[in-house]
Amino acid sequence: MNYIDVEKLRDDFPILKKEINGNPLIYFDNAATSQRPKQVIDGIKYFYENINANPIRSIHSLAEQATLEYGKAREKVAKFINADPDEIVFVRNTTEAINLVSFSLPFKNGDRISTTYLEHHSNLLPWMRLKEKGVEIDIVNTNEHFELDMDYYKHIPKGTRLVAVTHASNVTGTVTDIKEITQLAHEQGALVLVDAAQSIPHLPFNVKDIGADFIAFSGHKMLGPFGVGVLYIKKEVSKNLGPFLTGGEMIKDVNMTKIVYENSPTLFEAGTQNIEGAYGLGLAIDYLNSVGMKNIENYEKALTSYLYENAKNLENVEVYSGKSKNFLGIFSFNVKGLHSHDTAYLLDKKGIAVRSGFHCAQPLIEERLKLPGATRASLYFYNTKEEVDKFIEELSKVAIKYGR
Amino acid sequence: MEDDKFYELVELYRNPEHFGKPTKYNCSSEGYSPSCGDKFSVYLEVENNIIKDASFDGRGCVISTVSLSKLCSYLIGKKLNFVDSLNLESIKQLVGIDELSISRVKCATVGLDAIKKISAESNKV
Repeated sequence: MNYIDVEKLRDDFPILKKEINGNPLIYFDNAATSQRPKQVIDGIKYFYENINANPIRSIHSLAEQATLEYGKAREKVAKFINADPDEIVFVRNTTEAINLVSFSLPFKNGDRISTTYLEHHSNLLPWMRLKEKGVEIDIVNTNEHFELDMDYYKHIPKGTRLVAVTHASNVTGTVTDIKEITQLAHEQGALVLVDAAQSIPHLPFNVKDIGADFIAFSGHKMLGPFGVGVLYIKKEVSKNLGPFLTGGEMIKDVNMTKIVYENSPTLFEAGTQNIEGAYGLGLAIDYLNSVGMKNIENYEKALTSYLYENAKNLENVEVYSGKSKNFLGIFSFNVKGLHSHDTAYLLDKKGIAVRSGFHCAQPLIEERLKLPGATRASLYFYNTKEEVDKFIEELSKVAIKYGR
Repeated sequence: MEDDKFYELVELYRNPEHFGKPTKYNCSSEGYSPSCGDKFSVYLEVENNIIKDASFDGRGCVISTVSLSKLCSYLIGKKLNFVDSLNLESIKQLVGIDELSISRVKCATVGLDAIKKISAESNKV
């Protein structure tokens, strides 16, 4: 686990020094949101003290500086995933990114869209709503290891316009083969949207290598501020999309009889944007780059293996994640006989923050796992072996005392 | 909450009183909390506005299950509309806990809200 100097990096995250219920915080809820380093926190303060103005339209110096920084943030995001800056649309979050595509791609009666059982609601509900328009929705199943049924993608039903798929499940941790899926979908004439909210914070990501048409992710899961997310739209696809929100900034020319819209990404950034958010996300990307995404991936892989290895001997604990060939640092489980909320409550008393409930993936948890909820520990690169040890120790105590 | 108190509640949760769908009931309602996934059905046998019997089934956490179980015991023999006067504080008293974190409030009241729905329906008639 020598890929990164974790103790040194932890100093950058003020919140990790906090005590919760009399115990040092062990933050294992990273799939819900990451913590932020002081470089991002202080950077946002710097933005408001030195750069703040409404960018793009005004011509005074401060506004120009804000415009410049907003553009720089877009360039940083683009470079981070190997895209071009004008392929990057700033949105609020992954949910908004996917909704944008569901509104702006002109779907019609009889079109098909596929999504999967592994999805977060954000990659299910925008598509299910299109049923009202007469669009058919296929839900791709998984095998018992929670790997997607690749046969489906080899024979995609005729009329499928879009294949929507997650890159990594927030419940089972499954990493899907989006490169293979994209290739198969493109061969059969379908566009591909990837929900990369759970993957981009954790591994190197190259859109040109993957080839997908739309990629959605959130800033707050990768050290950035809340309220800023990204939709990558492949250049040659963007011309097929209509406007999403209309209003300020997103036009070339308006009179009372005619509107000429801007091109993407401006077309999709109506109204004053979250400039602070984009700026902060740029700083988060600087930070991730300084640690190195490959180092992050390797470190987390080692830490995840360490967790799973130590969890093997836990009594009265059922594990639902980590069954697929590739998976990320997600550990979903229940103490037998205990509701996930109660397990989370008992761990929280020891300072350990985990998620419980449906994880916004209710069909997966209820219909596939047949559970009323699951408890989830999710790791990031600032977590340590010692934290994993403490987690296993406390979980073991809970499972022995309350499990059956 | 003290560990001992929580342990006591877990014991009640394992085998809650008034659990199971009865053969005889004339009102029922659903209680659901989407964030937790708590899902309960409540069954009441009401005669002349008096709750003769109360029971429930479904799945939920310790707090929601024990709260609903205690509430069923408490309501039997009382007027149906009496439930309208109950609130979170009443549930905390029934369960015997002083503090409840914000995220568990919905757990404590999911059953109460379901029974209040039955009362509201009866007022309409």
